[in-house]
Amino acid sequence: MVTSVFAHSLKEALEYRRNPKWIPYCGGTDLMVEGDEGAAYLFVNQVPEMRKILVEDNRLRLGAAVTFTEILNAAEVPQILKEAMGDIAAPAIRNAGSIGGNIGNGSAKADSALVFMVADADLRLASADGERILPIKDFYLGRKHLALKPDELIVEVIMPYKGLENYYYQKVGARDALAISRLSFAGIMELEGDKIKNFATAFGAVADVILRPKEIDAIMIGKTLEEAKALKEEYLKAIDAFIVPIRGRVSVEYRKDVAMNLLKDFLEVKGL
Amino acid sequence: MKTISKAVPKLDHYEKISGAAKYVCDLPTKGMLFGRMLRSTEARAKFGNITLPELPEGYFFYDKNDVPGVNKVQIVLDDTPVFAEGIVEYIGDPIGLLVGSDERVVNQLLKQIQVEYEVLEPVFDPRESKESFFNVNIDKGNIAEAFANADKVYEEKFHTGLQEQAYLETNGLIAEYVDGKMTIRGSLQCPYYVFGAVAQAMGLENENVRIVQDVTGGGFGGKEDYPSVLACQAAVAAYHSKKPVRIVFDRHEDMIATSKRHPSYCTYRVAIKDKKVIGMDIDVLYDAGAYTTLSLVVLQRGVIGAAGIYNVPNLKVRGEARKTNIVPSGAFRGFGGPQTFFAVEMMMTHIAKDLGMDAVEFKLQNAAKQGDTTSTSGRYHFPVPIPAMTEDVLKASDYYNKKKVYQNQTGRYRRGIGASLVYHGCGFTGNGERDLIKAVVKLKKSKDGMVEVLTAGTDMGQGLFTTLNKIVSSTLEIPMEQVIVALPDTDMVPDSGPTVASRSIMSVGNLLMKAAKRLKEEWIDGEAQLIEQRYEHPDFMIPFDNDNFTGDAYPTFSWSVNVVEVEIDSLTGFIKVIGAWGCYDVGTPIDEQIVMGQMEGGFVQSLGYGMMEKMEAHNGWIRNSSFSDYIIPTAVEFENLHVMLHVVDYPNGPFGAKGAGELPNVGPAPATIDAIQNALDTTLNKAPFIAEDVMNFLREVK
Repeated sequence: MVTSVFAHSLKEALEYRRNPKWIPYCGGTDLMVEGDEGAAYLFVNQVPEMRKILVEDNRLRLGAAVTFTEILNAAEVPQILKEAMGDIAAPAIRNAGSIGGNIGNGSAKADSALVFMVADADLRLASADGERILPIKDFYLGRKHLALKPDELIVEVIMPYKGLENYYYQKVGARDALAISRLSFAGIMELEGDKIKNFATAFGAVADVILRPKEIDAIMIGKTLEEAKALKEEYLKAIDAFIVPIRGRVSVEYRKDVAMNLLKDFLEVKGL
Repeated sequence: MKTISKAVPKLDHYEKISGAAKYVCDLPTKGMLFGRMLRSTEARAKFGNITLPELPEGYFFYDKNDVPGVNKVQIVLDDTPVFAEGIVEYIGDPIGLLVGSDERVVNQLLKQIQVEYEVLEPVFDPRESKESFFNVNIDKGNIAEAFANADKVYEEKFHTGLQEQAYLETNGLIAEYVDGKMTIRGSLQCPYYVFGAVAQAMGLENENVRIVQDVTGGGFGGKEDYPSVLACQAAVAAYHSKKPVRIVFDRHEDMIATSKRHPSYCTYRVAIKDKKVIGMDIDVLYDAGAYTTLSLVVLQRGVIGAAGIYNVPNLKVRGEARKTNIVPSGAFRGFGGPQTFFAVEMMMTHIAKDLGMDAVEFKLQNAAKQGDTTSTSGRYHFPVPIPAMTEDVLKASDYYNKKKVYQNQTGRYRRGIGASLVYHGCGFTGNGERDLIKAVVKLKKSKDGMVEVLTAGTDMGQGLFTTLNKIVSSTLEIPMEQVIVALPDTDMVPDSGPTVASRSIMSVGNLLMKAAKRLKEEWIDGEAQLIEQRYEHPDFMIPFDNDNFTGDAYPTFSWSVNVVEVEIDSLTGFIKVIGAWGCYDVGTPIDEQIVMGQMEGGFVQSLGYGMMEKMEAHNGWIRNSSFSDYIIPTAVEFENLHVMLHVVDYPNGPFGAKGAGELPNVGPAPATIDAIQNALDTTLNKAPFIAEDVMNFLREVK
């Protein structure tokens, strides 16, 4: 028999979370599929603190219980995230599924998490005893292995509001709708004058966690386009060595080829 | 358009759309036992001791020792055991059945059962199998002479994979044994197949067996033979436990344990003279899986269609179905046709390319015409409207222009267009209708003038109850409301045969029309009347010789022309169908909307077969046993889909109708692969061809 409780405030939700049996449940689009009859669910989809979309100090704060559809409809949300949301599943799932669930599921195929990774977003995690801010890159420790403590909740995603306009995003699924990513790629190149102010890439569904080659991407930062072009070969070689795919629904070779193809296309499209 | 073709709301439309329809899993379960199968985890093994956990009161385990009649399921040959007898032949082979009142307890107990296996060497590749189930051969003309006279000889191999029917409702039945009578109800296509199987396995007289169809959520052939297996198993449990026993599969179990489309390996040798096909020498090999089930008849249809729609004066086909240790393949819309039609259509495009001709022109030049002989030396007695249909489809799709443009492409996105010309033989192969089925239908008129249609025909979404009603009410010239077509119950309906082979309208519908004509003539107001109509073999048919495989295999054929246009992303391998056109000749549509629905649905299912639906048994395991992993098309995949009908009356069908349901599942797959090979500027020989195959190809040409 499934047991469930409804949290009406963050405080109440965190009190419940003191007991790790309570599994946070927002849209249930993953949990319903599991059909665990012994589960204890903590409904967090009406916790006001987790329902907000707002811009503060040039940072976009997205509540963990915000649905994909709400993100698609919010004026404040950068286009790269909207594009990723539009490719998720189908309307019914987008109406129910939340970004908190997408992140907390721990999958390297999570389409919203890919964008949060490339944007170097932070997660606001809270427990009844306090809260902390953790870069999302440090949240994923391994396959289905998260840096979330047993009593914590994902409350918000905090990401840059600007600087994401010059992006590249591609999800590769096995079909147009209701498709789990076979591979996904996001790239950002922010220019300031003739210099690259920010350069970021992220590869989803290729390994146990979303890959974010921050150190390699850093070699492009601060360079002019001409200087970056000269570094292109070295850069590609480094990424090629960095990406070690695992076999899943598709082969290692397929993942590697497509990851590198999309990366090269990103560079070309952005003038590198 | 004829009056009868005008669309009406399907009779089951409201109950299905509103959710009121009761499928077998919706029926009340009070007092019922739930059954779960103990299945083999080995692909081939002897098994000895089965160690059961302690079973609570009211929980039972049954196996081969509990089958009161014959432990064989009656299908074509009786080799499929109800429960395995000392040896298992595939992963999923049923060893026994555990039943009890709490489904969760049954599931927990099932996990605790231990089986001692002595593992034997399995065979997974039919090309390596030493065990032949069936051979079906065609020998027409003089093949040696044809090859001796040829300008050029082409040889190539083709392969097609497994395909899952993917009906919405999984297999499920309820068995109940009361006062010496066994009743089976649930999701099924062929009540009288289940009837025969249950009577034999239970050792019951016919009057003590009753089969009732419940609302059925899709079949596509997947509920043709399989419910016979499940019914026997459920019946054993109901017989001993004296309680109703319900078995409803979850999707995983349905996908690993029930029948699929046969994988195929074909080798074609084709002799060409003056740009005409003068001979074909073909090896057809179907992977039957562990038991014979329907493989003989599936293979027959594949062998007959191996030469495609072409007039091939000298033809040799060696067809064989071999055993492997994977789940048995069975019936699937198209029934052996899609495999060889894929091969011959690809072969023809490759020859045309070598000859420097457009593939469609080459195909039309070789296509059979009315009066020509068929592959089995029968005759195409009726019009072959392929040229006119081709013209319509090529025009609608702008085929020639696109073919011209889609050459030497080097960019990220590459487009291609392809075509296929196919037929589907209507009804049972050979003398099946006359010698095996011997269909009987009845019309029962009550005193108040209501007319009940009594057939074993099942509606599983294809609209049969509506179309049979239209045939009867139109013939009687009474409103549809005055005619009743109910879910068949073998206590009430005669054996009009199974709902398979695109035969229901052409064969059963025709008997009903004849019966209705008689009833109209003999109609007496205020009196109850009963009209019975039996099958009569069409007198124009050239007798079919089952031993030599000669004569009319089918009374007539349904024809189709398909064009598919794709765009391939060379960075990701993703194949997008950007246009799809089909023209279908199914005679007069009994209901235009129903027929269009069938054509569109079949088209989409065949596109899935061509470029999406990949299923393999890795060491006997079907790993992608969920809809997350087995990819079928959704409604958004093929937005630009255009289906048209080419209407030619079939004089021996009711109101001019002939077979419809399977036809659209034959041609779109080869048209898709033709489009992909056009986009990649190569020749391809396997289906499905998916994104990974595209990337493998691009990696090789690099």
